[in-house]
Amino acid sequence: MTVLLAAGLGSTVVSAQETASGDHVKVRWLAPETFGPGQETIGFYFEVDPGWHVYWRNAGDSGAAPRFDFVGASGEVGDIQWPFPVRLPIEHLTNLGYEGDVAYLFTVTPAASRMEIVVNLEWLVCKVDCIPGYGNMTLSRPVGERAQWPAQDRQLRDRFAARVPQPAAGQSFPWAVSNLSAAAQGDSLQLILQAGEGASEPPPPQVFPLDGGLLTAKAPQLERSGDIIRYTFERVPGAALTPSTGFVVSDGTRAWQLDDLAIQPASSSAPGSQPQSAGAGQPLWLLVLAAIAGGAILNLMPCVFPVLSIKLFGLMGPEAAAAGRLKEGLRYAAGVLVTFAALGGLLLILRAGGAAIGWGFQLQSAPVVLGLILLFWVMALSFSGLYEFGHRLMNLAGNSRGGAFVTGILAVFVAAPCTGPFMGAALGAATLLPAYGAMAIFLGLGFGLALPFVLLCAFPALLNRLPAPGPWMETLRQFLAFPLYATVIWLLWVLGRLVGESGWLIGALLMLAVVFAFWLGRHQFRGSRWIAWGLMLVALVVSFGAANRLQDAGVSPVAVESQTGWQPYDRNAIGQALAREQAVFIDYTAAWCITCQVNKKLVLESDEVEALFRQHDVYLVRADWTDQNPEITRALGELGRNSVPVYAWYAPGERTPVLLPQILKADMIEALFTDD
Amino acid sequence: MRQLLAGMLGGAALLILPSVSLAAAVPGAKAPDFSEVDAAGKTHSLEDYAGQWLVLEWFNKDCPYVKKHYGSGNMQALQKKYTDQDINWLTVISSAQGKQGYLEPAQAMTVAEGHNLSATAPFLLDADGSMGRAYGAKTTPHMFIINPEGQVVYAGAIDDNDSANPAVIPKSSNYVAAALDASMAGEAIAVASSRAYGCSVKY
Repeated sequence: MTVLLAAGLGSTVVSAQETASGDHVKVRWLAPETFGPGQETIGFYFEVDPGWHVYWRNAGDSGAAPRFDFVGASGEVGDIQWPFPVRLPIEHLTNLGYEGDVAYLFTVTPAASRMEIVVNLEWLVCKVDCIPGYGNMTLSRPVGERAQWPAQDRQLRDRFAARVPQPAAGQSFPWAVSNLSAAAQGDSLQLILQAGEGASEPPPPQVFPLDGGLLTAKAPQLERSGDIIRYTFERVPGAALTPSTGFVVSDGTRAWQLDDLAIQPASSSAPGSQPQSAGAGQPLWLLVLAAIAGGAILNLMPCVFPVLSIKLFGLMGPEAAAAGRLKEGLRYAAGVLVTFAALGGLLLILRAGGAAIGWGFQLQSAPVVLGLILLFWVMALSFSGLYEFGHRLMNLAGNSRGGAFVTGILAVFVAAPCTGPFMGAALGAATLLPAYGAMAIFLGLGFGLALPFVLLCAFPALLNRLPAPGPWMETLRQFLAFPLYATVIWLLWVLGRLVGESGWLIGALLMLAVVFAFWLGRHQFRGSRWIAWGLMLVALVVSFGAANRLQDAGVSPVAVESQTGWQPYDRNAIGQALAREQAVFIDYTAAWCITCQVNKKLVLESDEVEALFRQHDVYLVRADWTDQNPEITRALGELGRNSVPVYAWYAPGERTPVLLPQILKADMIEALFTDD
Repeated sequence: MRQLLAGMLGGAALLILPSVSLAAAVPGAKAPDFSEVDAAGKTHSLEDYAGQWLVLEWFNKDCPYVKKHYGSGNMQALQKKYTDQDINWLTVISSAQGKQGYLEPAQAMTVAEGHNLSATAPFLLDADGSMGRAYGAKTTPHMFIINPEGQVVYAGAIDDNDSANPAVIPKSSNYVAAALDASMAGEAIAVASSRAYGCSVKY
């Protein structure tokens, strides 16, 4: 980040002076006699009386960093670079700064024949008592072919330049950050560094916090076991926890800067203590109401409707007595509710175990997706009227006592990908609410899903309004096979995203094997049935085994396409973009989320919207949640969501995102840019 | 299993930690008790201000940052504005005898007059540092706001600019005024804690 300052200095120079001084402090330039044409690092050299000190960028518990107010320069002036400090215990406090001499450095790039700088300085020098100092300094040196330094000044400059932290991202950083965590209610913050390979037991590095508002300057408590070094910092009492913070790490001669490290919630939350209610002020009943509405909307989704239709046909049959209908409806509702309760219980158990999961997680497992492909394929074939199997399933669903119950279970399982707009918020809250609240939301969803069906059963009048059974049903049933085929195609694509291209192959071969097995089974030559069953068994074992192994082997899913400028999710890269005040748009998406795909094709990747994003230099992030990705799960959790799509917009300079509706329209994106 | 164990240990740690942590005035927590004699010889304690708003300000006449806010009249204007609204304001000197900023009662009365102090009482003289330490006062100035329920609602710097130059005051955002105004209007306080800047309190 550099500043281009106006030239035209002549008038602003009141009294040209190359030095400044005050009590216990003398300041002079570290600069070449003649500047070269390119960038040069120069500095303010502070000579401080023994026993007195000046300050680092984070001054610590008291004191203040010096200020350099550039009034004008005939060129580009960079930000002040702060050599790493030392801890200065001053009575009951700790300061971060420098005892004795120090040089504050910055880069300049001349843009004229002379390099001229005018700057106002303010500093604070302290022993125990503090004395502020003020001054203004000018620099005026010729610009020539190459820079010419007084040897001693250049050495001084280099000495301090070596102490300026470099980004910790590079190869040279000898440690890796394994964790940064803080309990929301605690009064400490822990940073865990891991020494790199071959580190021959060097002394643990010094770590200085960049944010004096969050952490005190007191030396952190240090624990070491093997390669792991744990720093426990004391937090400023009462200071709100920030989402991220930064540190400077120094081995005593060099230093590295860790910017925008995300602070994880401490994993060691007390047993029994519930996560903070993140309903964010929304009362539980409202969330449950939203869940019920969300569940009801699921009925209209193409994933659920075919399953319900099987059941409805069963009810409309002449054999279904009116009195039996309500029972059927209630059995269906019981199936739905029991499944939701089981899913809720599972979620709570996994949550308690600290697993990072979310709604739709069942679609992040390749074997589950393969199972769904099989289920929909068989259902589609039967809907098309090719196999009796389907009729038998339908009869089973329609007639047996357990039928309605099973249909209910089925309905829940297939509804997951069709997460409706209401479900997002409700489920997001469910993962963060206390256990009873989370369960209430799950049951609310189930209640909503079952409600229309139960109503139809309870009021046969409604049912009678439905057209009488007839040949049209066969046509409708055959028609409904097509959404199922479409679902199969889509699930194959999901499988491909999960385990790579072999996913398609495995899925398609399984489908082929199933069809072939059915064909064999229908032909009454000797042993054909046994061969059919055998083939089926082998196909199942092989395909599921392969899918499972591929996913375990971590075959990388198809990389996020980046030709349109979308970057894969990287928390630190996003932090950097926010730090340089660039606008950020995050598309939380997944291959198995239909709404996401529609929004992506119709809105996000339309020419107008892409042009808008380019024009405003928006940092675009595609957070792909198709596969299990705990980082993205956590990011969603922080937004109070646990499902996709989520669209997060960070306006330039903003650190709290605006969440866009789940159904995107191009004008919503335009509105982001017209407001300012 | 390991996670469960870690969770239980962490939970136990959470229960123990607060009891060993240093006493300090923390936003959201009950304000520490105090009982100090002011320069005029009158004793003030926290109970005296129960049911009322109270601002505490740490003072050292020789600290450049105190000079910044008194020399410019900024601190006195703030004191006047809020004491006029029946908010109590106590200015505390925690400098120990022989340290910078220490004042005998008679001197303190003179300094209060010379500084046009508009606090509720002349300086509280906390020469043994008991009140300052109880509050965790680190710097001069260091500001605390206590609500009528006896809870600390703000702790930290007077404003967001740690320059010693009084010229920056008009451009600075005053945390104390913002917190008091928000509280009076029944709104939440946006910044309840900040890094107190200034000179160290000379205990």
